[in-house]
Amino acid sequence: MNDADTDADATDRMLLQRMSMGDRTALAVLYRGYHGRLCRFLSRLTRRPDVIEEVINDCFWIAWQKADNFHGDSRVSTWIMGIAYRCGLKALRQHGDEPVADDTLAQDRGPAHDPGEDRELRDWLGKGLGCLSVDQRVVIELVYGVGHSLDEVAAIMQCPVGTVKARLFHARVKLRNVLPSLAGDSPVRKENAP
Amino acid sequence: MMFQTSSGRDCAHAWEAMPWVLQGSATPEQGESLMSHLVHCEACRAEFAQQSRLQLAMSLPSDIPLDANVGLKHLLGRLDAPAPLEAPFRPRTASRLTRALAAVVLIQVIGIGALGTKLWSEGSLPHYRTLSESSQPAIPGSIRVVPDATMKLADWDALLHALGLQVVGGPNDVGAYTVVPRSTTPTQQHVLQQLRATSGIRLAEPVAATP
Repeated sequence: MNDADTDADATDRMLLQRMSMGDRTALAVLYRGYHGRLCRFLSRLTRRPDVIEEVINDCFWIAWQKADNFHGDSRVSTWIMGIAYRCGLKALRQHGDEPVADDTLAQDRGPAHDPGEDRELRDWLGKGLGCLSVDQRVVIELVYGVGHSLDEVAAIMQCPVGTVKARLFHARVKLRNVLPSLAGDSPVRKENAP
Repeated sequence: MMFQTSSGRDCAHAWEAMPWVLQGSATPEQGESLMSHLVHCEACRAEFAQQSRLQLAMSLPSDIPLDANVGLKHLLGRLDAPAPLEAPFRPRTASRLTRALAAVVLIQVIGIGALGTKLWSEGSLPHYRTLSESSQPAIPGSIRVVPDATMKLADWDALLHALGLQVVGGPNDVGAYTVVPRSTTPTQQHVLQQLRATSGIRLAEPVAATP
């Protein structure tokens, strides 16, 4: 955890403490601060905006209720992402698993402010993530997107670190085999890839 | 993992370190080791380039348009709601399963209760007989007699007639007859003595004296 992360966590703890005393302004600050990353994180689970918003609000409803139960065993971001993950899984069970599909991606893509390079990158990523399981997508998002450590990912997903390592490994192997071909290159390594 | 180059171990270490070097959470030694390896390993260089691109793609903002202010407004409205919606995505599978199990247990209890009532109403006499019990209630004065296999039927009939006895059971598996006196005039003890004194009778004993 670098200095920026430490400062951010200290701010989050202060906001959480104020939330535990019923401060809705603190809730609003924390909500806006996490909305973007939660939105992207949950978009790896489902493509439905209504479900994503529902899960984010469920997550912060729980955070609001349980703010005084946070004892600081982990970073606030780890705690919140864990709640969001569990709420997301519940939403998946209720609404059904909707894998990332490239046609859905194309429909959801912001048309005006999405430069061509970003669009190409999203397309490349979307097709790669479409080959992964939900758990593998979540691990990839938490490691590469959010920047969590293995221990933190294990805490978020409530599973052993070894399980996280295995999911990360298999996800990387799949992406390694799929992504070069999607980028126009021929896949050089297949099953033997690390 | 299978690396077919001679520097397979270095490639494995490089593969392991890539996400954390990209994150900035790797130790300086890990970072330096990876960079020095990439200089002379084309495969890992390509892999690292792809990993960098992956991280770049993953760091793009969500492509699903959601307004944080709208969501926050909904959340605050929910907090003000009189009845808080606890566990909005509560799965119903568990409660259904619990109800189903409770129903099965209830049916079993009712069935066992009905069966017990039926058995109780049929009386307390058991529908079985222990080996020490006689098959029928013994008639007073009954005697168990085992005639010799060589005894003639006419002699057997004459003996019964002379002693005033009649056969009420048998012969059983060992050839024993149950006889009772036709009248109460001769005592059982007297009849027993007469039977035992007869040459063709192997055994005579009162039924009540069965061990």
